[in-house]
Amino acid sequence: MICEDARLAIGADPEAAGGELEEHLRGCDACRAFQDEMRSLDADIRRALAEPPDVRSVPARRVTRPWREYALAAGVVLAVAAATLVWLLRPTDSLARDVVAHVRAEPDSWLSTINVSAGSIDHALKSSGVGLDLASDKIVYAQSCWFHGHYVPHLVVQTTQGPVTVLILRHEHVKARDEFREGGMTGVIVPAGDGSIAVLARGRGPVPAIAAELRQEVHWLPEPATH
Amino acid sequence: MQSPVSSIGERLRAADARASLTALFESLRPDLLRFAQWLARDRSIAEDIVQEALLRAWRSRDALKEPAAARAWLLTIVRREHARLYERKRLELVCLDEAADIPDHAAATAADSSLLTLRVGIMKLPLEYREPLVMQVLGGFSTEEIARELGLTSTAVLTRLFRARHKLRALCGASGQTA
Repeated sequence: MICEDARLAIGADPEAAGGELEEHLRGCDACRAFQDEMRSLDADIRRALAEPPDVRSVPARRVTRPWREYALAAGVVLAVAAATLVWLLRPTDSLARDVVAHVRAEPDSWLSTINVSAGSIDHALKSSGVGLDLASDKIVYAQSCWFHGHYVPHLVVQTTQGPVTVLILRHEHVKARDEFREGGMTGVIVPAGDGSIAVLARGRGPVPAIAAELRQEVHWLPEPATH
Repeated sequence: MQSPVSSIGERLRAADARASLTALFESLRPDLLRFAQWLARDRSIAEDIVQEALLRAWRSRDALKEPAAARAWLLTIVRREHARLYERKRLELVCLDEAADIPDHAAATAADSSLLTLRVGIMKLPLEYREPLVMQVLGGFSTEEIARELGLTSTAVLTRLFRARHKLRALCGASGQTA
């Protein structure tokens, strides 16, 4: 058993036992320390779950004076207008920066080596109105992530040269291919129909090849209703 | 024709059995409510879920062979009821903002701020991570039982549990908690 498998087993169940795991732990100080940490975390999780969550059952209706409501509404309108202006005027390379920032915020996405179920992939795609004819056995991470005001599929595709991250950006229109290198990642954002696809790898990965393949395979479905 | 004596005896035994089962269900209600609240993150919805689950359980009480299995059986019914309601009303989307809203009294009475951070972290976990974690830690379900209940492979459940703890670990680390 390798460390990655041991940590997956321990992270899933800190009390996990088994011949291979125990044998690995006997010879690996780092994984033993990880197990201790996970057991301690689990004790805290048990304490945290011991009481019901502190959420209000029904949002309390606050009594507000009319002028406060108008002021609030005006503030919201101004904020929306300002945000829209910033949005429209943002530099094009900010998209690449935001994509990198999003991927860096989910570091565990790179770790998975286990195929995601077809149902999870389907959920991540359909939540964003995206169709993708890619073999599901390549996908080891599939989430529907909030990005630039929309849910977008965040996938990690396992390749022979390592994992490659893909964000399918239905609402991000780019005029031309944009290659970038930032935060230790190389990436490209390519136009795809009315939207775009961002592909990133840590270090050097088969970014152009995956981007080219995805451009052929992605298609837009009717956008699901937002709630 | 049935003897009236045995008929009365049977009725008394049946009444005793019903009373015992009612008492058993009621004794488990706090556990069920806590479980439902961590799934739904809303007390009134959780109460509805538990009420509906207990009604369903009562209607199919013959399926419960061993009183010792009642807790797991009822928790399973609660989870399914939540899933049904979630499908119908998209609770996850409705409640996200509420989940982040911690009432002041909670902060005031929480002696351990790191525990509070963890509770908020669990509340904010997406349902796909929160559900197996709550089932495992609070419900005592095994990986295989969770997989069967959620219609996933055991590997997928392990991955979700790993990611749930990974996110909570990162959160605790970020808030400066030492476990």
